[in-house]
Amino acid sequence: MKLNCAKSGFFLLLLTFCLFLLPQNSRAAVDESEFIIQNLQVQDIPDDDGSGLVVSWKPLPKEKRIIEYRIYRGITKDSLFFIGKIDVNVKTGVLGDEMYFYDTDFNYWLDTQARGHLRKEKGQKKGSPLYRRYPRDIKIVGPLLQHYDILGVIHEKDYYYHSRKIEVIADEDTTVYAGLKLREFDQMAKKLLPDHEYYYTIVAVNEARRYFPHAEPAIGIPRENSPEKTQEFYAVYAQDINRLQFEWSLPIFTDDIYYHRVYILEKKDLDKFSKYIEYIEEVEFNDMAMKKDSTIVALDKVIENPAQMIYQRYSSYPWTPSKTVYINIVDGKVSRDKPYPNIFTGEERDVNVDLDVNKIEDYYFVFSLYDHAQYETFSEVSSVDILNSSELPKIPPFKIKDREDDKGDYNNVMWGKPIVYLTNSTYLNESKTKLLVNYEYKTNKDYKIRNIFFKVFDESGNEIAKINEFYQDKKIKIKLPEDSDKTQTLFFEMTFKCNKDIGDDYILTQTLAFDEQTKSLYPSEIFLGDEDLLKYSYYIYKHNYYDEEWRISKKVAGTQREIFDNIRYLNSHFKLVKHYDIEKGLFLVRPSFSVSHLEDEMDKSVSSNLFSSEVENTLKTYKEEIAKITASKDTLETEEEIKNADDAIKDYEEQIAIMTTNPILKKAASIKNPKKRIKFLDKARHYAKNTFVYKIVKTDGKGHFSESEIYIREDIKPTDEKDKFFAYFLGFGKTHFHPRSNWFNKKMLPALITSLIFGLLVFALIKKAKQGKDLFIRPIAGIQEIDNAIGRATEMGKPILFVPGTSGIGDVATLAGLAILGKVAKKAAEYDTKILVPCRDYLVLPIAQEIVKEAHFEAGRPDTYDKGSVFFITTAQFAFVAGVNGIMVREKTATNFYMGMFWAEALLMTETGASTGAIQISGTDAVTQIPFFITTCDYTLIGEELYAASAYLAREPLQLGTLKAVDYLKVLILFFIITGTILSSTHLTFLINAFPEK
Amino acid sequence: MKRQIPLLIVIVLGFIFAIHTFVPHKVSSDFFDWYQTWIKAISPFMVLLGIMSLTMVHSTKIKRKVPNWQYSVVTMLALVGTGAIGFIWGTQEGTPFMWLFKNVQMPMGATMFSLLAFYIASAAYKAFRARSAEATVLLIAAMIVMLGQVPIGIKISKWIPEISSWILNVPNLAAKRGIALGVGLGMTATSLKILLGIERTYLGGGD
Repeated sequence: MKLNCAKSGFFLLLLTFCLFLLPQNSRAAVDESEFIIQNLQVQDIPDDDGSGLVVSWKPLPKEKRIIEYRIYRGITKDSLFFIGKIDVNVKTGVLGDEMYFYDTDFNYWLDTQARGHLRKEKGQKKGSPLYRRYPRDIKIVGPLLQHYDILGVIHEKDYYYHSRKIEVIADEDTTVYAGLKLREFDQMAKKLLPDHEYYYTIVAVNEARRYFPHAEPAIGIPRENSPEKTQEFYAVYAQDINRLQFEWSLPIFTDDIYYHRVYILEKKDLDKFSKYIEYIEEVEFNDMAMKKDSTIVALDKVIENPAQMIYQRYSSYPWTPSKTVYINIVDGKVSRDKPYPNIFTGEERDVNVDLDVNKIEDYYFVFSLYDHAQYETFSEVSSVDILNSSELPKIPPFKIKDREDDKGDYNNVMWGKPIVYLTNSTYLNESKTKLLVNYEYKTNKDYKIRNIFFKVFDESGNEIAKINEFYQDKKIKIKLPEDSDKTQTLFFEMTFKCNKDIGDDYILTQTLAFDEQTKSLYPSEIFLGDEDLLKYSYYIYKHNYYDEEWRISKKVAGTQREIFDNIRYLNSHFKLVKHYDIEKGLFLVRPSFSVSHLEDEMDKSVSSNLFSSEVENTLKTYKEEIAKITASKDTLETEEEIKNADDAIKDYEEQIAIMTTNPILKKAASIKNPKKRIKFLDKARHYAKNTFVYKIVKTDGKGHFSESEIYIREDIKPTDEKDKFFAYFLGFGKTHFHPRSNWFNKKMLPALITSLIFGLLVFALIKKAKQGKDLFIRPIAGIQEIDNAIGRATEMGKPILFVPGTSGIGDVATLAGLAILGKVAKKAAEYDTKILVPCRDYLVLPIAQEIVKEAHFEAGRPDTYDKGSVFFITTAQFAFVAGVNGIMVREKTATNFYMGMFWAEALLMTETGASTGAIQISGTDAVTQIPFFITTCDYTLIGEELYAASAYLAREPLQLGTLKAVDYLKVLILFFIITGTILSSTHLTFLINAFPEK
Repeated sequence: MKRQIPLLIVIVLGFIFAIHTFVPHKVSSDFFDWYQTWIKAISPFMVLLGIMSLTMVHSTKIKRKVPNWQYSVVTMLALVGTGAIGFIWGTQEGTPFMWLFKNVQMPMGATMFSLLAFYIASAAYKAFRARSAEATVLLIAAMIVMLGQVPIGIKISKWIPEISSWILNVPNLAAKRGIALGVGLGMTATSLKILLGIERTYLGGGD
């Protein structure tokens, strides 16, 4: 079609018309008051840590064509900042009567991508209190720090090396902070503060992105609540070993829970306990009322808890804490040598409870969650389930190993012997005599399965099949007798042959029972001896030097035999940001950071400081405080005052002892170079955090569990112990395991050997080619025809079209296509034929331009090079096709080349080319497009021929040598394929097992 | 120097990334991640190259009033207009940019894609003309495979779906794997040629 002015005018009109078709209805004048959000409410989220509010409102009807609701928050009504949005499907609208937005926990507050300056929200009237997101301006966000808990996420390098020492003097006290620019924070996250007022409003935005007036801001105050009630709690007493076992479920909100506790309660005290529960609920209700009404006074403590605490642990936040514990009863007592502390009240609770084991059923046990606000929530009381330890599951031995071939971020926890189980079955024929049974197997690095043996029996106990799975393809075929009952149950016995002996009595049994509903044989439970494997699951517990409390690494099914415990590299420090320096534009965080913890002393952190001078100052201050308190002790009168003074002195002395005797801190103090000192401390911190002790628990989820001892590696290499650095970590490599970064991926060994063989072949054959020896290369019609195709274009006086694929420069096929372009362009330049090269990738463009330009220079025709002949069309797949097809039709190209990677566009281009009568030569490694090219093009380079083309055309020894090397390597691969097939057909699987599975 | 420095960069980085394939160590993976961030930083400049090329080609066509130059005006208007709309009103849902994308570009792309159905029919006709023994085999195989995919196939014979899946899983898969093997080796050979500096066409031909 020839385009004239009238036609182009028509196109322009069409485009303008399209623009006018924009949703004009949504832009029309409307009554804005109809778009103001109604029923806006802000409420406290129950059972949380006092940082959650839920905003609710009535959504507008779908006729309003609302596309999103934007939520704004502020600490006053006068300035509210955009904090988030909820997208709405404009066609369906919101189906419910209410919409909710949960403002809870730490979430995005500020980062470097925020705007530099404060900006009013779009479409709001003058004087509107709405602003866009918080800006990077410290003058605006600095004062807001006191209204939120702001958590700064700082990359360790920024924290260690870019922190400025800032001294803040307040009330004659000087506090040193680390000052950081906003750009040095990866992000700042916010959490609402309990008992603070926050205002919220909502703005509706319609499909034309018109912002409607905001709703009247609503106020909300997050309140500290007691933790949610634990849903499940089980108590078990193993009478032969005098052991109490407890298992419980975990709450949803864990942020502010500090202690998990177990109490014992005599059944006769149940009423008293119920009254105590009522009383603490009343206290919480009264506390809430006191916050709203200052005239209400606190309740006196009138009721004591009749239950006695027998166990307490830290919540292990933010990790998932352990869910089980056992307590041994010794001499009719539950006791502990150290009291349990309460860091909020300072009190210490001794555990020394007399317990008559003969009347254990006279006791209830209760689990509680205790939070930062000192609220405690109790579970329902649980009676004890009495049994013998033989009824508890048997826990298999387990091992910890470093996962091989990784960058050092996984430990491999493995236990037990291999497991195989049936997963499904299908009849393969109508007469139901052929049954396909799918199976799954689980093993670990310790046991390499060689064979799986299946024995199948009918209901009468007759053996009907015996199968040896030497290659485990997870399916077996069983031939059933023609006259057998097709609804009868089939019994399976499964055993293994492994790299080491697993014992003759290790037999797994399972049945395939007829299911009336599906009319098929369905697998039942899996038994190992008498044990139902599906009844149990495993908890893998771990803790590090940094946190002595056990946490759950993973919970896995009873059929699992290993896990890879992910130990992530954490390069960030998480610091609360409370202060700022407006003059220097710095946010201030604490310069002290934990390196490790003291064993069994969770509240005793081994910490250091970014600034070594501060470590010395702190020591000095502690000593001065001790002297001051000691001097003032004589003036104290009451016993309590004296005790408090003694406790304070003890605390200071303990801190001094840690700072002066801890080997890591001592070593750090001896390093004078600040950078080296920080590097040492960071290394210690990394190992403290990423080195773990493990144990496993096998449980039915109801308190019937067995717990392993921690794993101790006996064959520890003496070199590990000798390493000076690891001497700081007691048990490193023996009880505590740190994953290792591997320097070679063993799975890649066959690939490496093949690459080396290939490299040697290339060198040998290049040498041979250089010596002038003839290297035979199979003629490829497509390549031989290139000259003729160019000649045809020259004769016709029409241009050549060359499409170098539609992939990027990172694709080897594109590079191969460009190599062919060089040869074609040179030939075209010699014949003075125009070549057009449309590109879909930005990076391919300049390379293609350079190749064509160089080809013209080489042909001695630099004057004929037109930079505009190699051009970019678009990255959009089908728009590119439209462009190329347009060129073919308009320019009437005589020869079309398609060389490189192609997708669905291949056929669209080549069919158009065929319809224009052009001679077409294509080459691709895209298997799915090859049939289309073969059908529509005159010649096609299939797969590897594309890569061989440039060498074929160049005929240089270097290129030919490489080409020939590929052929020889193919022979080698063919040898392995044939040998592997023959060997594995005769049950010899060593060769195929030598190659790693992908 | 113009060619030697890029060649050196390619060879050095090529070998580093080849080594990275065999070395899972943190040092190696950190280097790779660092390189990926560089790629992200370079990408916007590549867009600029494309826009410059497009502008140059089409402005020359308009200036020289070459045949069909009016198409170039439409292209330039679309380029400038879409860019301007995106910069002024943003690219979010509900903006004119998004409207253009959903109501102009997507339907036009879908139209081109839908043409493929007709082109496949045309290509199939060409391929299945039983002009030779090979083409006849192809035709029969195609008939069986197509019948095997639809319910009528099993109505004709219960063997059709089985033969269909056999054709797909045995000879077809064998051929595909054969091609894939050749492609893999070809890619390795080309990569090796680039690494060793044997293949330098991507630097602008010649040596």
